[in-house]
Amino acid sequence: MSNPHDHPTALKDLQDSIYREKVLRARAMTPEERIDSVFELSDLQLGMMLGGAMHRLGTKDPDEGWKEVRRWLDRLAYARDFRFYATQRPGAA
Amino acid sequence: MTLVELATAVFATAESMDVPHMAVGAIAAGAYGIPRATKDIDLLVSVDQSRGIHQLIDGLGVIVEFDLQAQFDTITWGRRYVGTSRTVPPFKVELFEMFDDEFVRSEFSRRRRTFVPILGREVWLPAPEDVVVQKLRWGRSKDLDDARDVLAVQGQETLDMTYIERWCATHGTDQRLKDTLESLPPL
Repeated sequence: MSNPHDHPTALKDLQDSIYREKVLRARAMTPEERIDSVFELSDLQLGMMLGGAMHRLGTKDPDEGWKEVRRWLDRLAYARDFRFYATQRPGAA
Repeated sequence: MTLVELATAVFATAESMDVPHMAVGAIAAGAYGIPRATKDIDLLVSVDQSRGIHQLIDGLGVIVEFDLQAQFDTITWGRRYVGTSRTVPPFKVELFEMFDDEFVRSEFSRRRRTFVPILGREVWLPAPEDVVVQKLRWGRSKDLDDARDVLAVQGQETLDMTYIERWCATHGTDQRLKDTLESLPPL
């Protein structure tokens, strides 16, 4: 069986197939269930980040891990907001 | 503190202070699109001149530490205040202040209540069309993904596409809308 990553058309078909599955799964949920999922995914992802941070630091202290997670999140926010936010409007004194 | 607990406290505070608001960002996009994780709670807040947004910032002060330096997004020059929860994990709370923008006023006037079981309460949300228009207007990669997901999950047949097209034309984002629609695979 050939590798779809070697063929742009096959790769696009694969990507579309994965995306279609995500859309159909979301369509099967109610808005309430989808919002619940946002919260569940968020808490789960932060827990994974904590595990990653503690592993990177080589610590078993969750407080140290959360400090590192906060540093990561601050860096992420800075990168995402770069040039998108300013502290003054143009022409403001 | 979990994001659920923080969100419950933030929404309860805004309600108790009688501050008109609605959830935007990942919560709104997740309601209509494909749910994704987030690290912040974003609220669009309508405050009157006399009370100002600082009353809500003070009300949230026990759980959220705000940077009192306002920031402006460079697309609409809307004002936002960013806070970080005082508890761990360090979630962000972002308050976007209502401003004199025809679309934002329309978006806010169309907000609706939705019950969120995990929060055990109703929250105010924008309409799906407004999520699409706003996300296309901001146009960052995650915004475009959110707009595509809402269009895909809701389907053009259930959305007021005339409303979306009108605002996208006003914002000069009609090509983004066209590109996004064309990027959708057959569903």
